[in-house]
Amino acid sequence: MASNLFIVIVGCGRLGAYLANRLSRAGHGIVVVDYRMEAFDNLSSDYSGFRVEGDAAELAVLKQAKVDKADLLIATTRDDNINLMVAQAAKAEFGVPRVLARVFEPRREDVYRRLGVETVCPTSVAAELFLKSVCQENES
Amino acid sequence: MEAKPVLIVDDEKNIRLTLSQALEALDLETDTAVNGEEALVRLAKKSFGLVLLDLKMPGMDGMEVLRRLRQTRPDIKVIIITAHGTIDSAVEAMKLGAVDFIQKPFAPKEIRELVTKVLNRDEIAADKARHYDEHVELAKKHINRREFDVAQEHVRQALAVDSTKPEAFNLLGALIEIRGDRLEALKQYRAALALDPSYEPAAQNVQRLVVRQQEGGQISFGKKQRPGEERR
Repeated sequence: MASNLFIVIVGCGRLGAYLANRLSRAGHGIVVVDYRMEAFDNLSSDYSGFRVEGDAAELAVLKQAKVDKADLLIATTRDDNINLMVAQAAKAEFGVPRVLARVFEPRREDVYRRLGVETVCPTSVAAELFLKSVCQENES
Repeated sequence: MEAKPVLIVDDEKNIRLTLSQALEALDLETDTAVNGEEALVRLAKKSFGLVLLDLKMPGMDGMEVLRRLRQTRPDIKVIIITAHGTIDSAVEAMKLGAVDFIQKPFAPKEIRELVTKVLNRDEIAADKARHYDEHVELAKKHINRREFDVAQEHVRQALAVDSTKPEAFNLLGALIEIRGDRLEALKQYRAALALDPSYEPAAQNVQRLVVRQQEGGQISFGKKQRPGEERR
């Protein structure tokens, strides 16, 4: 089954759409959720998944996106609180085996970890890359 | 499982792709059509065992395909593909022997499970059925064949085994509605909803019947206005 996952992506901004396009191209079944219809314009023309328009903070919308059937959920909205809420609902209410979330505030990562949610923090990732680059310059 | 090919009829490319990819794992041969007219051409040329049919298509819609299919090939099984909240023609489809619906978006596993269930339905023997699920499946088998009286008998048996699940009440409501008794049908739909308020097919049936009575024959939902749309 690992080669053909059913993935729900919450938020169809630059990051969400990028992930949706790439994962769809890789042959996975994708549903993207966003409350703005225009956000779906970010999807490429060969994106072969589904679009659900609605507020992911509502359980009914997550149900409509069939989160209960998902192998993986990725929360990518710009709002840490929404991401946390969606991730929590996916874990506790729908029993999604694997949940990933974007967190902007590095201090919140701990809360997510306690809930069993894997996180990616753009701030920490960017900071590490900057530091690496600075160190390399100093050495040379 | 019978190995007859499956025809996928949908105007959206991604749906056709998702469905054929999902069915590959079942070793089923699939064919696709992009509209009603093309579907009828394919159906005339090849012997299909199952059709996955979208109701909303430009030109000839799914219901018309279903109507014509029933005149020529009543034995072919049909699964209806619907968008969220638009199963307002469920009873009409059931009159034509289509009782299985799959709502967009769908997970590949979900598609495979439903297709397997529908294809294996014929193998359930009436005299050996004991469980709730078996009786529900038998009821559906007879709805497929448009033997509504026998179907209703199986629904009643399902309810006798387990009266705590909404699906059998909803099916009973639909069978009663087919016979023309809307008020009694509504009671059964409401019973299904009382057991599980989140059971959507029953919620939609109640809404449809109530709206129809209030508006004098107009079925208006399915084209709901989106929030903010009136301002544009």
